[in-house]
Amino acid sequence: MSAIGELSTMTRRKGPLSKEEKKANGRDNKAAYVFLLPWLIGLVAITVGPMLMSLYLSFTDYNLLQPPEWVGLDNFVRMFGDARLHNSLRVTFTYVLVGVPLQLGVALLIALVLDKGLRGLPFYRSIFYLPSLLGGSVAVAILWKQIFGTTGLVNQVLAMVGIEGPGWISDPNTALGSIILLHVWTFGSPMIIFLAGLRQIPVMYYEAAKVDGATTLQQFWRITLPMLSPIIFFNLVLQIIGSFQSFTQAFIVSGGNGGPSDSTMFFTLYLYQKGFGQFDMGYASAMAWFLLVIIGVFTAINFIASKYWVFYDD
Amino acid sequence: MPVNPKGEAVAPAATSKTHASAPKAKRRLRASALVAATAAAVLALTACGGGAEQKSADGKVELRFSWWGGDKRAQLTQEAIAAFEAENPNIKIKPEYGDWSGYWDKLATQVAANDAPDIIQMDEKYITEYSTRGALLDLSKYDIDTSKLDEAALNAGKGEDGLTGIAAGINAATILANPAVFQAAGVPLPDDKTWTWEDFERIAAEVTAKSPKGTYGAAAYGTDEASLGVWLRQNGKSLYTKDGKLGFEPADIKGYWEFLKQMSDNKAVPTASEIVEAEAAPLDQSGLATGKNGMAFWWSNQLPALEKAAGGELQILRFPSKTGKAEDAGLWYKASQFWSASSRTKHPEETAKFIDFLTNNVKAGEILLADRGVYPNSDVREAIAPKLAKADVKVVDFIGAIKEELGEAPAAPPKGAGAIQEIIKRYTSEVMFNRLSAEEAGKKAVDEMKSAIGA
Amino acid sequence: MTKLQTLPAASGSSSAKDGKSPRRRESPGSLAFSRSARIKGLVKHAILIIVGGVMIYPLLWMVVSSLRPNDLIFREPGLWLESLEMSNYTDGWSALTHPFGHYMINSAIVVLGSILGNLVSCSMAAYAFARLQFSGKKIFFGIMLLTIMLPFHVVIVPQYILFSQIGWVNTFWPLIVPKLLATDAFFVFLMVQFIRGIPKDLDEAARIDGAGHPRIFLRVILPLMVPALATTTIFTFIWTWNDFFGALIYLTDPDMFTVPVALRAFVDSQSATSWGSLFAMSIVSLLPVFLVFLFGQRFLIKGIATTGIK
Repeated sequence: MSAIGELSTMTRRKGPLSKEEKKANGRDNKAAYVFLLPWLIGLVAITVGPMLMSLYLSFTDYNLLQPPEWVGLDNFVRMFGDARLHNSLRVTFTYVLVGVPLQLGVALLIALVLDKGLRGLPFYRSIFYLPSLLGGSVAVAILWKQIFGTTGLVNQVLAMVGIEGPGWISDPNTALGSIILLHVWTFGSPMIIFLAGLRQIPVMYYEAAKVDGATTLQQFWRITLPMLSPIIFFNLVLQIIGSFQSFTQAFIVSGGNGGPSDSTMFFTLYLYQKGFGQFDMGYASAMAWFLLVIIGVFTAINFIASKYWVFYDD
Repeated sequence: MPVNPKGEAVAPAATSKTHASAPKAKRRLRASALVAATAAAVLALTACGGGAEQKSADGKVELRFSWWGGDKRAQLTQEAIAAFEAENPNIKIKPEYGDWSGYWDKLATQVAANDAPDIIQMDEKYITEYSTRGALLDLSKYDIDTSKLDEAALNAGKGEDGLTGIAAGINAATILANPAVFQAAGVPLPDDKTWTWEDFERIAAEVTAKSPKGTYGAAAYGTDEASLGVWLRQNGKSLYTKDGKLGFEPADIKGYWEFLKQMSDNKAVPTASEIVEAEAAPLDQSGLATGKNGMAFWWSNQLPALEKAAGGELQILRFPSKTGKAEDAGLWYKASQFWSASSRTKHPEETAKFIDFLTNNVKAGEILLADRGVYPNSDVREAIAPKLAKADVKVVDFIGAIKEELGEAPAAPPKGAGAIQEIIKRYTSEVMFNRLSAEEAGKKAVDEMKSAIGA
Repeated sequence: MTKLQTLPAASGSSSAKDGKSPRRRESPGSLAFSRSARIKGLVKHAILIIVGGVMIYPLLWMVVSSLRPNDLIFREPGLWLESLEMSNYTDGWSALTHPFGHYMINSAIVVLGSILGNLVSCSMAAYAFARLQFSGKKIFFGIMLLTIMLPFHVVIVPQYILFSQIGWVNTFWPLIVPKLLATDAFFVFLMVQFIRGIPKDLDEAARIDGAGHPRIFLRVILPLMVPALATTTIFTFIWTWNDFFGALIYLTDPDMFTVPVALRAFVDSQSATSWGSLFAMSIVSLLPVFLVFLFGQRFLIKGIATTGIK
């Protein structure tokens, strides 16, 4: 934390210099690296080492208990023939493509409703955020079964109108759906970020719009949406990254086995089973780097596309 | 740590925006100098801090002891530790404990980092994984008295790599019955010395028919390797052979699933959905504990917990057999869990001393009682008998009663067997949900199991 | 994007004076209007309450269960309570080696360290990424995003080796130090997006007044990104408070357990779990998080919207 102190003394001394530099080429390298210093240290000392080591391990046969043995591309070749891995990719893609838009849509909608000067706003905000507080708590599995079990709340309600519901979390056809719902249920985090973003939009824009006679809908399309776009973009990028790596929810609800019949076997859950359950950490590392490439491609597409719809004031 | 410096430069290109910035070489140099300096500083720091020796300030030997289990077990075990420390003032035992699932992740990580606890509570499912890879100590080379241990239980911890685990408790596979459910249905409890699988199905179906909706005569088997093991043994096969291969064919497991499906169709056991749901349920939410099942498949040491959860007495039954003779039920004594030691422990003698204490000392027995199953040491078992709770006595009596009927002890699970249970579970639900026929599932499951254990 | 600029540009300069006006978008209308607005409001509240009820049903169930005797929790359905059983709270509090408060203090230490770390280090990094031009910026930004794309299970073992070499196992350092070093790229990226949303003329103005980067950062940017800082604080609190895996791996001594690890001590998946105690202590451990959220969300409303543009 002394970095701040260092920072202020440094710029006091070298302030003029950095200004000269800026005039020369429009860059402020020194200041930038000082601001980045904690992050750089963390990157070098904590993050990069383990990442590179896992990259190395992906080319080895490593059972955790004995030293790794170099096997070249074997792990990656194995992935092509692994039917369960292909299934886990299908499950994960379904989850990402359905779950992310659904959760973000709900979060944005609720955030917009809550952002309007509504009475009891803090109350609602808290209620809607409560499920997200639970996180990956052990209790979630139990709670979810209370709702979606064969004798859970949903089926009790359905029984009242004479429908015999399936075991939502135990039927291979509906299990993934119920986990997506669990994901949507915890829309609190993106909602909070949306709310914070909405609050950052300068009021003057709306006032000006009102003077110009813009309708609420017009205001939404022309002010709210563009001004919020960096935050929407952030949520989109991070939710996609997070959902590809989704682990805890499926782990908790299925008791760690991705069942029934692998219908909730997420990619990372399979990776975890391989690595820690079957002591095949080399293969798990290869899977992890494969996933990193997939997520990387999605993120890159996201960033390229963002040029067409995300508005920055710089 | 072998590091590929190019990995860093290549990978980010995939995500960073395509805008090429062309910084001057000089600046790049300065930037990388900064990074290098930081790295050097951190590495220097790392070197200084390295290798904390586990020895407490007063010169005592400090041992780390790791187990899984809930708060009750933690209390009992810590009492036993205190008793040991009172007898051995120069040894200090540091407890580490947690729930089952996190326990194994943590243990694997610690072993990988050469930071394993000295004394490790081990399970049958993983002992071969650890012992064949040299992670566990051969305890036969140290001073631990095994003369009073039940032979079958002792053998369970023996393998190519010596005696790597000493049974902490004995178990048997059982069927537990809830008399309240039978009574409500007006069905008498079966005679477990003479019953066959046909009887089991008939009785279970009868209970279902005479019970309110949602209650079934029996829970399904098929969720673990134990019941498959019993099934196979009764058919003259086994899960594994002595030389570490799979001991059965697709046709054997096909019959196992077909019977399960038939029972489900006859409503002797629940529907596919309910079966899958029951699999993920913890013990106290199981059908037996909540009064929704008349009978269920459990290990004998789980009876006390189940009785508590069910709020009434349960009855222990032998498995049915094909012939109706109890000797043909093919039961065996299983080690509920093992005491193992890390092969890299710096204090093997002290570690062995502690395991010896847990195994043979009556004081330890009087504290731990039946928490980890029936005591394998017959002397301790007798000495603590008067102190046992009623439910525990029932278990001890059952273990004693079946002693003459036991079959041959099964072969130890080979390396990779940790995956078998999950494979059984998965294909059981494939069959139950009609996604695969029992025949196809049998073929696929056997293939997968074979590749899991590399045989 | 260009659409937007046409709108506010007209009154952009005058807004400085209007900045103090309260943030209410609906103007008070005629009587007839307000009546339909009231009905609209009622409908809105009704919908919100129904949705909210569905949202928190599981939580209510947990509260109710924590007030039931342990052996009745799964045998009695619904939310109806025959009697209030407080013993789960008293038993649960003292069931483990230490009173449960001990574990909450441990968690609090980790949480406070993490919050401090994230607020300082992430905001600094974010400022550099959002406002400064420097060599390798895009590469660094890419690397930063890359660090959150690798599933964490495969870095656990290497990271554990790293920290055990330093001798940090069984201390809080492996849980706090990474936060001090901005390894949580989520928050860096979050703050970058917020800073980029702050009109740039503000720091230009400060620069013309002769302010250097530290000054702009501390005096202009930080006060304007209070919502982002509040978000970071709330999220860091909750995520660190709930973090199970890191605490599980690095804290081996039961004295050092944080709340999630301590809660698992009630669980015995092979035998009897003390559900009553587990639920009761889950509720107790939710309280600080909830209070922080209630308190912290007040800061979500601050920022440009209410402070106006100085």
